[in-house]
Amino acid sequence: MSFTLKYKDINEEREISSDNYTIKDLLNELEVSAQTMVSKQNGELVIEDTVINDGDEIQLVQIIYGG
Amino acid sequence: MKCSKCGNPKVIIKREQSGQLLCKDCFIESIEKKVIKTVRKEKLLDKGDKVLVALSGGKDSVTTLEILNSFREMNVIDICAVTVDEGIDNYRQDGVDIAVRHAKRLGIEHKVVSLKEEYGITLDEIMQRENHKGSCSYCGVFRRTVINKAAREMGATKIATGHNLDDEVQAIMMNYLEGNMDNLTKLGAKTESKAEEFTVKIKPLREIPEREIGIYVVAKELEVHFDSCPYAMQSFRGEISEVINQLAEKHPTIKYSTLRGYDKIKGILKNELVKDYAHGRCEKCGEPSSNRLCKACSFLEELGCD
Ligand code: SF4
Ligand SMILES: [Zn+2]
Ligand SMILES: [Zn+2]
Repeated sequence: MSFTLKYKDINEEREISSDNYTIKDLLNELEVSAQTMVSKQNGELVIEDTVINDGDEIQLVQIIYGG
Repeated sequence: MKCSKCGNPKVIIKREQSGQLLCKDCFIESIEKKVIKTVRKEKLLDKGDKVLVALSGGKDSVTTLEILNSFREMNVIDICAVTVDEGIDNYRQDGVDIAVRHAKRLGIEHKVVSLKEEYGITLDEIMQRENHKGSCSYCGVFRRTVINKAAREMGATKIATGHNLDDEVQAIMMNYLEGNMDNLTKLGAKTESKAEEFTVKIKPLREIPEREIGIYVVAKELEVHFDSCPYAMQSFRGEISEVINQLAEKHPTIKYSTLRGYDKIKGILKNELVKDYAHGRCEKCGEPSSNRLCKACSFLEELGCD
């Protein structure tokens, strides 16, 4: 089971590491703050509680920057 | 999970401050309605106004332009825009290009002013100097001067900036904690200066959290410049912002309550603290100033740019 992650210059296949693996889990793994990000699942905006499915494309967009 | 308003299962945001869940359409509508409510409540616009939007191409200014444009479409106001090019390599140009495209798309009068043309020096060049006073001091002062001047030249009656809820709460806390009461009295949805030369400034997004503006532009697919300035660094504002966001995790309404509290005491503060306005003029450029030179001109003098 895997999904595609698109974030900045990253475009990679990643394993779904557990049952009910959510976008929030992914953000924690990447050590980025959920507050500064929005997430898209297969092109549609979703909230961080969304469970990632096999074959999903998850895109993260940073919306808050310093300065 | 369902949208609290229409029942659509495609929820895009959970508002921690209210527990509300919203789908894309209901979220977009709620942001636009809230801004329009602020405009009405604070009487930010008068019929016939020509509003100059300070358009950097970032999410806040693009959202300000987008929502104010609905008033233009109803023929309530006219809109023009100004973009300041500070001269920051590998950063500013993208924002400028995006600003130009939005102005074109909406068919509004737009001006790009570069610090290089205006003052003969870029921010990058200032930062090469030995004893500069920090990028953001110059940036803020020069930008303000350029925007005020553009407002006069373009015949604008109001200047709209993209300050959001987070910006405003940070400013309240910063000024309070630093004991800077003079600046504290100057915040608010509408800042009026007694000097006629200063155009009235309005902040239509003042009650919208920064994060929601980010989600709004992504939901509406508005082109914006998402990037951080290479000079953005650890500042007091940054520290304050961290503390407030940390508090907001357990107390999700804290930004709103800080804003409401400030709005209640602002009138009293003003009555008690505002000194008589200094009627002086800058010797060099004629801008209102309580000192011999205005801030911009004294920076230019120090930099040897006059
Ligand atoms: S962070 Fe960059 S753009 Fe913002 S005020 Fe400072 S120097 Fe200017
Ligand atoms: Zn809905
Ligand atoms: Zn001056």
